Amino acid sequence: MPKSQFADPDFLRKPGEVKIAPIPVNQYNKTIKDELKEKNFTKDDLKHIYRDMFTIREFETMLNLVKTTGGYNGVEYNNPGPAHLSMGQEAAAVGMAYNLTTDDFIFGSHRSHGEILAKGLRSIEILPDKELKKIMEEFWGGKTLEVAKKGFKGGSVKDLGMHFLLYGAMAEIFARTTGFNKGLGGSMHTFFTPFGIYPNNAIVGGSGSIAVGAALYKKVNRKKGIVVANLGDGALGRGPVMEGMTFASMDQFTQLWEGDMKGGLPILFSIMDNQYAMGGQTRGETEGYNFAARIGAGFNPDSMHAERVDGYNPLAVIDGFRRKMALLAEKKGPALLDIVTYRYAGHSPSDSSTYRTPEEIKAWEAIDCIKCFGEKLVEAKVATEKELEEIREHQKSIIFEMYKLAIDLEVSPRMDLVKESELLGDMMFSNASVDSLSDAKPDVNMPMEENPRVKQLATKERFAFDANGKPFSAIKTFGIRDGLFEAIIDRFYKDASLIAYGEENRDWGGAFAVYRGLTEALPYHRLFNSPISEAAIIGTAIGYAMCGGRVIPEIMYCDFLGCCGDEVFNQLPKWQAMSGNILKMPVVVRVSVGSKYGAQHSQDWTSLCTHIPGLKVVFPATPYDAKGLMNAALQGTDPVIFFESQRIYGQGEEFHKGGVPKEYYEIPIGEPDVKKEGKDVTILSIGATLYRAMKAAKLFEEKGISAEVIDARSLVPFNYDKVIESVKKTGKIIIAADASARGSFLNDLAANIASFCFDYLDAAPVVLGSRNWITPCHELEEAFFPQPSWFVDAYHERIAPIAGYTPTANLTNAELQARAKKGI
Amino acid sequence: MASVVIMPKQGQSVESCILTEIRKNKGDKVAVGDILFAYETDKASFEEESKVEGTVLAVFYNEGDEIPVLENVMVIGQEGENIDDLLAGAPAAEAPAAAAAPEVKAAAVQAPEITVHESAPAVAVEGKRAISPRAKALAQKLNVNLAYVVATGPEGRIIERDIEAAAAAGARQTPLAAKVAAETGAIAPAAGSGLAGMARACDLGKAAAAPAAAAPAAKGKDVLESGDDFEVRKLSNIRKVIAKSMQASLQNSAQLTHHLSADARRIQALRKQAKKLLEEGKLDVNITLNDFICMAVIRALKKFPNVNTHFLGDSIKYFNKVHLGLAVDTERGLMVPCVKNADDLSITGLSRQLKAVADACKKGSISPDILSPEAATFTVSNLGNYGVEIFTPIINLPQSAILGVNTIVPRPKDLGGGVYAFVPHIGLSLTYDHRSIDGGEATRFLKQIATEIETLEVEF
Repeated sequence: MPKSQFADPDFLRKPGEVKIAPIPVNQYNKTIKDELKEKNFTKDDLKHIYRDMFTIREFETMLNLVKTTGGYNGVEYNNPGPAHLSMGQEAAAVGMAYNLTTDDFIFGSHRSHGEILAKGLRSIEILPDKELKKIMEEFWGGKTLEVAKKGFKGGSVKDLGMHFLLYGAMAEIFARTTGFNKGLGGSMHTFFTPFGIYPNNAIVGGSGSIAVGAALYKKVNRKKGIVVANLGDGALGRGPVMEGMTFASMDQFTQLWEGDMKGGLPILFSIMDNQYAMGGQTRGETEGYNFAARIGAGFNPDSMHAERVDGYNPLAVIDGFRRKMALLAEKKGPALLDIVTYRYAGHSPSDSSTYRTPEEIKAWEAIDCIKCFGEKLVEAKVATEKELEEIREHQKSIIFEMYKLAIDLEVSPRMDLVKESELLGDMMFSNASVDSLSDAKPDVNMPMEENPRVKQLATKERFAFDANGKPFSAIKTFGIRDGLFEAIIDRFYKDASLIAYGEENRDWGGAFAVYRGLTEALPYHRLFNSPISEAAIIGTAIGYAMCGGRVIPEIMYCDFLGCCGDEVFNQLPKWQAMSGNILKMPVVVRVSVGSKYGAQHSQDWTSLCTHIPGLKVVFPATPYDAKGLMNAALQGTDPVIFFESQRIYGQGEEFHKGGVPKEYYEIPIGEPDVKKEGKDVTILSIGATLYRAMKAAKLFEEKGISAEVIDARSLVPFNYDKVIESVKKTGKIIIAADASARGSFLNDLAANIASFCFDYLDAAPVVLGSRNWITPCHELEEAFFPQPSWFVDAYHERIAPIAGYTPTANLTNAELQARAKKGI
Repeated sequence: MASVVIMPKQGQSVESCILTEIRKNKGDKVAVGDILFAYETDKASFEEESKVEGTVLAVFYNEGDEIPVLENVMVIGQEGENIDDLLAGAPAAEAPAAAAAPEVKAAAVQAPEITVHESAPAVAVEGKRAISPRAKALAQKLNVNLAYVVATGPEGRIIERDIEAAAAAGARQTPLAAKVAAETGAIAPAAGSGLAGMARACDLGKAAAAPAAAAPAAKGKDVLESGDDFEVRKLSNIRKVIAKSMQASLQNSAQLTHHLSADARRIQALRKQAKKLLEEGKLDVNITLNDFICMAVIRALKKFPNVNTHFLGDSIKYFNKVHLGLAVDTERGLMVPCVKNADDLSITGLSRQLKAVADACKKGSISPDILSPEAATFTVSNLGNYGVEIFTPIINLPQSAILGVNTIVPRPKDLGGGVYAFVPHIGLSLTYDHRSIDGGEATRFLKQIATEIETLEVEF
């Protein structure tokens, strides 16, 4: 908490009560005539609403028929992928999209075909023809448009736009390279950013924090528009959604952020309450809020301006959005709309709806949103039944034409991963090098040279030892935390889009003092404290980066990665490839690996991150490497999990001659570094284990064995060249880190080295990890983490017995087998 | 009473702080709550408030100084107060070093025993052997005959250093020899006729175990040839003596043989040491493995007086001294000279004496007195050099027992924890006269010899 805010005991202990304003439910009661009279709509607008709703219905019907009958209009096709359809929810989708421009972004769920089509159709409607044409012609070099045109019988640019949209979405769902994301996203992740359609998410509630990050991007970077998070009612059971709402409701936006930054986030949580979370009934069975809108009351005094609207009347939804968007424009976000709707189909075609009665479905069909809206249009003389019939036939014919093109392998091919085996591999990382992701002038509080930390660092010793080889005192030494700081503050002054946040990042300066001095340098909107919501910390960073900003979220202890497992493992690594490389993900997640604090604060989980394709993983162990790798991470456009060790934040530079350069430099991610040359045995270490490896090298030297020590520095990517070269020389290798040995990345390294260097090995690579236990208390850690003597013991027991040596640790194969048998 | 203001310890890991600003100087009046000075750690900045009222009487440091935590920074008291005591403890004086607590080493964990082999086996090892890829590649490059390589890697694996050692020791064969050996199963001799003793294909079959080389023997003739295919020679005297005494021994005693083996690493190490000393000119006698074994036997005999005896039918003659007989193979036949009072000798003395009597036998200059069976109290017959693995020596009556010494073979040994390694073992075969000694005692005696061999201590 900042010093400017006073936790006043008198106030806090005063009796009273919390007052919650009533949350409106289905208050809209206008007729079409009222709306026409108020000039809220033209007749064409109303007909387009009808058209858009019908288009969605037909699109979903087509998919349903393909799934359930193997074809559409007599043209066969087998679509093995998922289809979470939304027949019945069209008014909610079209109403949601109606007020939005292409500056407004929507994020969705697994059931978002309707939302993207509604947003796409609305964008086509409001975009000037020239702009629309440009978007279509430039997308995938015009390849998608080219195919859509084959089924276009002539007409307006907007009509062509509809062909383009429907074809692009279908081709994506059928996994074609002409699809919006080259077929790599599929049904649950179809999106099209030029229309402001941002990723849908196959993880329930995945958009709950990502969309908040997008809103943060808009606010911090002064971009136009709002962000809509379309979530299902089931998503309200997800922790990350609660965390995203908490993040979006932070008091600091209105109480601490300054100038034009003061005010709430432009985020609108749109809960598409279709009554079911798969088969679980949220109202009455699996949740307890009764009205989804009620949850708004839990987040801020405005109850997030929550309101329930009738999702079976598109005009009620439009009205709701119009009012909420006005609040967001006044910086009064976040807002929440609970949109009552209903899905006719099951969760997916395999769902036989055993959990509901046919009567219930019939009751909703009786008030079907499209049918009733059509009747009202006829009744209000906006359109005749014949006109509506013409609209329906026209849309049907576009969908059928586009369907035939989308299933045609000739014009809509799939990615050929046999012929071009590395096509997808090459899309996992963007590997760009960009100084700044913003053209704006960075918001800072003072020139960098006036910063107290910068001034303090000027007096520090940038090499660990003096001319006589004596170490400088801890406080005089330029440490790893200082190297990180230099890289980060440098980027803050270069890239206006860069922001950093996490727990205790401001005022406190980060729990380990890396950010000390940044509070003075930066306004609130570039460096702030987040709630203790790891899922939101990473989720918002993903949304922020997706929209084009650079961000450093911080996870204070590696052990907390579990709290943001979905965000780190399912979201962050996926979006670059899943978008067909349309999105970049310049997120540098700082993760601090603890020690001393026992089982839940001392784990090295680097291996979990290396296991997930799509993440770069680094773990520097010296100030020179920390600064260089942080610079490289911040210069790139890929997600980097940046591990730091709490054992060595103060560690000075012992290896790089001349110490840590004051100037900017990069260390390429993926290059290990030989820290000490030797000829008899290679030690490859990860992270802070380096210093124990160096001690081990001394022990080896006493026995006449010369050890070469290589610091991995990066885990993904990893260039084996230097290691192979070393092993060819020594024939022996010990691979060590603080991660528990079982399932760790060490085994991956060992297996690869055994394969790459088989003929040169004099013994199988030895893996030296921590025990497969809980991390014990600090006083017992020596029995748990690899110790210098373990290296020699392992050498003696598994590589080459040393005459007269008595090992202390039993690391023999027999012992390892016995432990494995016991699961420890 | 003046108060001392110390540099606070801000956190477990903080050892020193930098004094960034002195707000109150010497002579300044201070009130409770006044900021005295500002300081910083590597992580954060702090201010120190005064907890007392008074006047700053002394400031021990300047701005920018790095001050160890808990060190005195200032003194606050009443003007004119004597603070000499406090000044004495000022930074100029070294803080007394905390008496270092004796470091208690954790008791060593029960560690697995890992064998380190130090010398080459005398004979070839047959069969498939574990070898590291690197060692294998090197063996191929240097043409090292794996049969003569001692495996010193974990679990009996041949590793790079073993190939280097074997190559240095000359256990090399030509590629052709290796190919022929692989095809025929023959084993090349340790030293061959090629360059630097490299075994050649033509050397195959000269090795002890080369059955395949002997296979293409001359076919038998179709018709038996008549005529004398023999000649008869008279026995030499020595042959007569041997024949008589050997037969007598088997006829007139109740002899049987026990076999066991001893870990040979100790005596191999001693042999290596002796060899080195000899090469360095620090020893003038070449002490052989057999000398060390004899020394071990002498020590065992001193512990088993019942074995150091002559069986005389109705009585047993016990000797106070050990007179050690040694079977020597000569051109003329087996001779068993004796070293008198062998238990008085040092290892070098024993070595010299054994060599002297053996040489005398070979030259024929040996004194008959010391060849007499009655001269020795116990005999050692060593066939290890010839690769004999087990034999049953015949007792030189009236002695009660004789020890046969066999070759050294690597034998798998349980090192504990499921780890097995090849350890060189020397075979020992004790023939004893059951009339004189019982099986239990004979076994204990034999075991004692093994123990002596395994733990032998000698001074060169």
